[in-house]
Amino acid sequence: MTGPDATIDATFRALADPTRRGVIELLRTKPRRASDLADACSCSRPAMSRHLRVLRAGGLVVTSSEEDARERIYTLRPEPFRELRDWLEHVEKFWALQLDSFKQHVERTRGRRR
Amino acid sequence: MTIAGDQVAVEVMVDVAPAVAFEVFTDEIDRWWRRGIAYRASGRSAGVLTLEPRVGGRLFEEYEGPAGLRVHEAGTVTAWDPPGHLAFEWRGSNFAPGEVTYVEVTFALTESGRTRVRLVHRGFAALRPDHPVRHGAPVVEFIGRFATWWGALLRAYRDHAGGDG
Repeated sequence: MTGPDATIDATFRALADPTRRGVIELLRTKPRRASDLADACSCSRPAMSRHLRVLRAGGLVVTSSEEDARERIYTLRPEPFRELRDWLEHVEKFWALQLDSFKQHVERTRGRRR
Repeated sequence: MTIAGDQVAVEVMVDVAPAVAFEVFTDEIDRWWRRGIAYRASGRSAGVLTLEPRVGGRLFEEYEGPAGLRVHEAGTVTAWDPPGHLAFEWRGSNFAPGEVTYVEVTFALTESGRTRVRLVHRGFAALRPDHPVRHGAPVVEFIGRFATWWGALLRAYRDHAGGDG
């Protein structure tokens, strides 16, 4: 279980910054170039480049393979978000199992119709 | 802190009156709360879970650890309004001091005479983002890890991933 957990850690790290969350929001609508992202976020190109590096390392974005870095297109990668959804479902499952156990107990001991 | 999406909600319908559901939920919590490493701080050892029936009462688990009797306190009761409403704090066993999330349970009579029990666990967005992560943790700690969730992240996730399933 180290694999997916490590991914989730990287996802959290990548998203622990408002600018990077802004980039995610922008990429949700369409893939964009780094320069467009820098302009949209009102940050310098070197700063955006650092943010994109973190997002890429976290596996949240992928780039097209243009040789010229300025022309690379950044696209959101859906897998980390699916893993986060799975994680949320684990928490829901925890409580669903608890309530199911509660239902069994209360109906077994106090139920009116059996 | 109320941020859209900063919560988990689960419901179950039980075939008893709300007052009975409330009483059993609280007074008999040790009898229905699942046992085992995924559900209790005591793991496989025999522990006893207690919910003290009043505002300010504690939700805690007592169990025999390697170094004698141990107590894991999950939190205190913040609302005690039988038969309809109960709220308590929830701290995972790996939470830092002062870190807390909130569980709210409502018991509502339905037209069929049964009770709809709805549990909402919220407050994850208020926790610090560098919450310690423990790999391979059981589900109780898994929920502790869930506390690293930020509201903004959850919103992003809902918007992005929620649409396709």
